Amino acid sequence: MISSPFFNFITLLLFRHRNKHIAIFIISTIIVSLLSSIIFISKSIQRDTKETLKAQPDFIIQKIEGGREVDTPIEWAEEFAMIEGVSHATSRVYGRYFLKTYDKSFMIVGVDFFDEQVVSTLKKVVDEIDIKEFLKTDSMIVGDGVKKYLKEQYYEEYFNFFTPDGEQKKVTIFSKFTPQTEIITNDMILMPIELAKEILGIDQEQSTDIILNVPNEAERDNVAYKLDSTHFNIRVIQKDDISKEYQNLYNYKGGIFLLLFTLSLLTFMLILYQRYSMIGASDKKEIGILRALGWSIKDILKLKVLETLSIGIWAFILGIIIGYIFVFIFNAPLLKDIFLGTQNLEFHPHFTPIFDFGIISSLFLFFIIPFITAIIIPVWRIAITDPYEVMR
Amino acid sequence: MIKINNLNKTFYPNTPREFQALQNINLHIKEGELTILEGVSGSGKSTLLSLIAALQKPTSGEIIVDNESIAKLPDFHASQLRAKKIGFIFQAFHLFENLSVEENISLVLIPLNFSQQDINQKVKRALQKANIEHKSKERVSNLSGGEKQRCAIARALANNPKIILCDEPTANLDKTNSLKFIEELKELKEMGKTILISTHDPLFREISFSDKVVEIEGGKIKI
Repeated sequence: MISSPFFNFITLLLFRHRNKHIAIFIISTIIVSLLSSIIFISKSIQRDTKETLKAQPDFIIQKIEGGREVDTPIEWAEEFAMIEGVSHATSRVYGRYFLKTYDKSFMIVGVDFFDEQVVSTLKKVVDEIDIKEFLKTDSMIVGDGVKKYLKEQYYEEYFNFFTPDGEQKKVTIFSKFTPQTEIITNDMILMPIELAKEILGIDQEQSTDIILNVPNEAERDNVAYKLDSTHFNIRVIQKDDISKEYQNLYNYKGGIFLLLFTLSLLTFMLILYQRYSMIGASDKKEIGILRALGWSIKDILKLKVLETLSIGIWAFILGIIIGYIFVFIFNAPLLKDIFLGTQNLEFHPHFTPIFDFGIISSLFLFFIIPFITAIIIPVWRIAITDPYEVMR
Repeated sequence: MIKINNLNKTFYPNTPREFQALQNINLHIKEGELTILEGVSGSGKSTLLSLIAALQKPTSGEIIVDNESIAKLPDFHASQLRAKKIGFIFQAFHLFENLSVEENISLVLIPLNFSQQDINQKVKRALQKANIEHKSKERVSNLSGGEKQRCAIARALANNPKIILCDEPTANLDKTNSLKFIEELKELKEMGKTILISTHDPLFREISFSDKVVEIEGGKIKI
């Protein structure tokens, strides 16, 4: 049993030997804060991506000609709506609008704002929108990156697009996407489909793709099969495919960082092992004295495990707090840029706070077990040596 | 209280460094006796003390302490024996310099699972017995040699052991403090403690209250 005097003595030792422990404590805290920052960023991005993709249709159908993606006839929407299981089908356009002079681009997406289902989906990604008001003039909903970029160019209220005929098209900035969707909507502009077609130069009878909703998950494979069997020249993309693509992208990036930091953690553990293996004469003497005073090997190991555990736990808690503040309050400067890569438009994501106890617990075990092992093995080797020999 | 029969201790056996520290030692010490082990450095006195304290295991032979054979005691039982029955006073004090006097003394009591209140009481009693109560909160690093020795005595008395082993206790003391220590030994003997002192300090030859003087030379008891 561990008595309270035992804990008192550990506290006393930690306090009196604080100079000896401070370096280990600081390095441990830094490693934990970096590891937890990556986990927080990765988890936050994954959640935001997942939430944003919920607003996506279940199927996207594109027309393929000669292996190349081409415009899709809008009448396909009506045809696909007749397939059993499909609750809704509509056409959509999208295309990248390049600002040649500035080497920047926007992703224009045009949807049918008279379609109730489109509007209800839209409300999940835009804070507040009055559709009637929106449709009174040529208006658009913009991503945070677009909004900031246009502001820099003194377009705070509207922007003048150029149609393929060289005509200027003034479009009012009506609203902004919610911050939770920034990962996907940063460079996006959403506008009525007719306006988007005009700007992108797409024929009014054509669209870029057709979107379908299939509410019953069990029906989705059947719908996909029917689409494939009735049209040889289409590409069917399911929502899950897009979701997996995004998840994999950030999992892959997070994985690389985790691997790097795991290597640094292991290196640190090796350093710890070395440091305790080359334990100083005074430390050896202390262990020898305690043994001579009646402390068993078990008592010594218990003392060192608890001493190390205390340092590890405090370093871990502090590391997690620093990681949380760094990511969710300061938006992970430096690490964010490395993580998200170079963006077309300036990107200042607001990571949505998330705290996954499962992952944090795993990180704790992943950190604390090697941490204790790295120290306990060399200490055990000293504790089992002849105490009288050690003291002399 | 302590019976040693045919005791041998060889260091690094079967290696080129093999060294026989003790050869065929036979020694009987009764309860309450004060025994002085005399001999030059390297004669085997300290080794004998460490074997009696079960800090090492003998190569062969038997050691009986308080009716218990300790030659082959496993670590936990050997530690319990030291914690409960033996008080150690070392040549270099072997105190924790960055802890206070009372913290050093309480170290002996922690493995015995006493409550903090019991520990405090026992520490206080030991401090009084060793006349170092006034320095209880002082860090050991700030103490003089004599005070350190009194702190070491208090630590050795904290668990109220039957046996006190002193390894060259005056080696780091001046003559005045050595004489004071000898006076304190007399008090310990009067308390009924069985005391075994390993020393080569000639001051111990003059003490009147010793029961036995054993001379060790080259790992053997000189007859």
